[in-house]
Amino acid sequence: MEWISILNYPVYLAIFVCIYGCLAIGLNIQWGYAGLFNAGVAGFFAIGAYTSAILTTPHAEGRIGGFDLPVPAGIVGAMLLAALIAWPIGRICLRFRSDYLAIVTIGVAEGIRLVARSEEWLTNSARGISGIPRPFGDLPYAQAQLAYLGITAAILLVVYLLVERQAVSPWGRMMRAIRDNEDAARAMGKDVPHRRLEAFVLGSATMGLAGALYVHLARTITPDAIDPMLVTFLVWIMVILGGSGNNRGVLLGAVIVWVIWSMSEIVTDQLPAEFALKAKYGRMFLIGLLLQVVLRFRPQGLLPEALRKTPRDGNRRRAAEDRTAPAAGKIED
Amino acid sequence: MDLLSFINFFLLPGIVQGAIYALGAIGVTLIYAIMRYGHFAHGDLATFGAFIALAVTTALGLSPYAALPVAVVFTGIFAICIDRLFYAHLRTFPKIITTIASFGVALMLRSFVQVVWGVNTTSYVHGITRPENWLGIRIKSHEIITLVVAVALVVILHQFLTRNKWGKAMRAMSDNPDLALLSGVDNGKVIALTWIIAGGLCAASGFFLGINTELKSVMGWNILLPTFAAAILGGVGRIEGAIVGGLIVGIAEELSVLIIPGEYKVMSAFAILLLVLLVRPTGLFRGKVL
Amino acid sequence: MTALLSIRDLRAGYGDADILFDVSMVVASREIVVIVGPNGAGKSTAMKSIFGLLDIHAGSIAVGGTDITGWAPNQIVKAGVCYVPQVQNIFSEMTVHENFEMGAFLRKGDYSAALDRVYQLFPDLKAKRKAVAGSLSGGQRQMVAMGRALMLDPQLLLLDEPTAGLSPKYMEQIFQISRNVRDTGVAILLVEQHAKQALAFADRGYVLAAGRNRHEGTAPALLADRNIAEMFLGG
Repeated sequence: MEWISILNYPVYLAIFVCIYGCLAIGLNIQWGYAGLFNAGVAGFFAIGAYTSAILTTPHAEGRIGGFDLPVPAGIVGAMLLAALIAWPIGRICLRFRSDYLAIVTIGVAEGIRLVARSEEWLTNSARGISGIPRPFGDLPYAQAQLAYLGITAAILLVVYLLVERQAVSPWGRMMRAIRDNEDAARAMGKDVPHRRLEAFVLGSATMGLAGALYVHLARTITPDAIDPMLVTFLVWIMVILGGSGNNRGVLLGAVIVWVIWSMSEIVTDQLPAEFALKAKYGRMFLIGLLLQVVLRFRPQGLLPEALRKTPRDGNRRRAAEDRTAPAAGKIED
Repeated sequence: MDLLSFINFFLLPGIVQGAIYALGAIGVTLIYAIMRYGHFAHGDLATFGAFIALAVTTALGLSPYAALPVAVVFTGIFAICIDRLFYAHLRTFPKIITTIASFGVALMLRSFVQVVWGVNTTSYVHGITRPENWLGIRIKSHEIITLVVAVALVVILHQFLTRNKWGKAMRAMSDNPDLALLSGVDNGKVIALTWIIAGGLCAASGFFLGINTELKSVMGWNILLPTFAAAILGGVGRIEGAIVGGLIVGIAEELSVLIIPGEYKVMSAFAILLLVLLVRPTGLFRGKVL
Repeated sequence: MTALLSIRDLRAGYGDADILFDVSMVVASREIVVIVGPNGAGKSTAMKSIFGLLDIHAGSIAVGGTDITGWAPNQIVKAGVCYVPQVQNIFSEMTVHENFEMGAFLRKGDYSAALDRVYQLFPDLKAKRKAVAGSLSGGQRQMVAMGRALMLDPQLLLLDEPTAGLSPKYMEQIFQISRNVRDTGVAILLVEQHAKQALAFADRGYVLAAGRNRHEGTAPALLADRNIAEMFLGG
């Protein structure tokens, strides 16, 4: 069936959009709803990926495994372990100020990466894990891809619907109240640390899910297969471009950013060989520039959160008293 | 282990690395003090400065040390441009937005270096330097120069901040921004000065990292965590804190291989950071609560 | 005496809201005028309006004949008016001497004469010139704040509750110093919660209540009037 192969590229693209869509929704729960600056997205992605890989592969010399569980078990295990690891991190670190939390999560992601690199008994170090099963993997290529797209799209849809329902529920309103005015929320008796932890764990579990979906697509995982900072950054710009606090927005952001990212690869592939390699790094420059453009011209994102028009507008009441020093920026986040 | 081994294999490398962190941490802490946000592009700005020095060295055939002042000045001015292009219009937003922007600038700087110089490791001079031997202490010439220049830069900065009118204006701005503005201090000028100083120190930090280890495009990003750990350990906004913090993080990192596997060396900075934030968030010298 | 500061029918407040309603005042050179009144009377608001820190909705403010209504603080400073806020009025991490240097930031050329004058007004601070300002007592910090404002040789000095939180000893000292400052040729307009003590040192006073002028007169006259004393000055 030749005609199907024309769809190969778009289908491949779409699968990644679904995977990144999960990541973006996960980050949206953490940043968009709860105001938590998680710069360690790639870490939870990696936890999910490796967990599912370890759970679903047969026995291998020198590392733990041999569980040979079905793929759904791997996916569930991925989410569980991501949540489990997020929990203590959240309990300890979520009280920190946003930028301190960011630096700490960068450290966490780095630590996870080092573990993946060094702990041979767990991850097989640099050699990684291969032979990871793939649902419908035995079908011819085009059909297998379509099938996998169906799976990831369905999972994304479920995630989206579940999170949307939470977002419009009292839980969602409470999260936003905590994010926008923590002191007032506390005064009203809300258990702020607990709520934040919820959001953090939930978001991390969703990121773990994305990792599992990735690993069953790629069928292998090595520590350096993905550049952690690139993955983290792509997800962040998806959320910011799309509109943090809005699930449809971040999904739109995922589509746009991933398409730009992939298109740029096509463009750089056309260049003569000696430029092509270096130009590939230029793609990241482009993405970084994209973020600056968004922050300059549309900081609230394409689909802003329904109730607000500008990003976190904390402490407006100070503006009246601070007439002499708006530029000194005493406004705290 | 005897004293000499301790000095040669742990203390000295720790101090040299600590000086590199201190130079970066001073910039981070200054930006916290004046502009009140965390600048995540600091590491990659150091990378940029280091590679500018490399460019000058290769293009003009100079010794790398002659290229250093060029890189320092260039990076300082470049930092002002970065601020004008990417941060200035975000000043009325919550500070975390600027931090996010700096995250993006970090990526841009890193990928720029990768496009121009590639991802392979390189260095300023090729070949092995032999250490000198002074009373049993083995130290290499570039280590000595690192420490001397770092001290000189700190002294110059201290003189500027305590003797110069604009240096005092910077301290005033850090101390009480409203009052500084009422006193007629030009916010824009102080910010520009801050970027020149921070950018220049970044270049020095990156340069010495390159000359003591090696040059690669992720070198700056790799020291972002220790640099921030040093600044926060010392107390955000306190320059003396950044220096002491840098030295402590550098030495602790070297010593950490005695208790944890070598691959995890960089996590000692993480551990310090976590400890400070949990036990005494204002740091050693009681930094600002922003 | 021509008025140094002249406020006419001022309406001002934060944003769109009015706190002051048709307030009028004058201050002549070489006099101490104090604004008193109950809490919420708008005393500090009046001061902040003069210095351009609030929105002026109607009326005018003039200094030495020049209309400064709506001017920004750094321009008003150039018109010869200096303001000492109630809180955060010093550079607590810098030395006393550096605080004065920052006070003189806008000056061009040599300002050693102004420095000498300030140290003469605050002799206690001369010995402490190298001390970090934040380590001083409350009264001394207030002196640093005033000295800093005087470094620009203003014609008019605005003091917002200068004795807030000070011991009686320092309170007296501040008021005495204000008289010394007046005698060097600087007019002083101050807002005070400690009305009776302030009026004992001042030349004239205005009583504000609920954002309006209620009474005015020479300080002794205001103090002597029983009604005013009971209703507005805390008995």
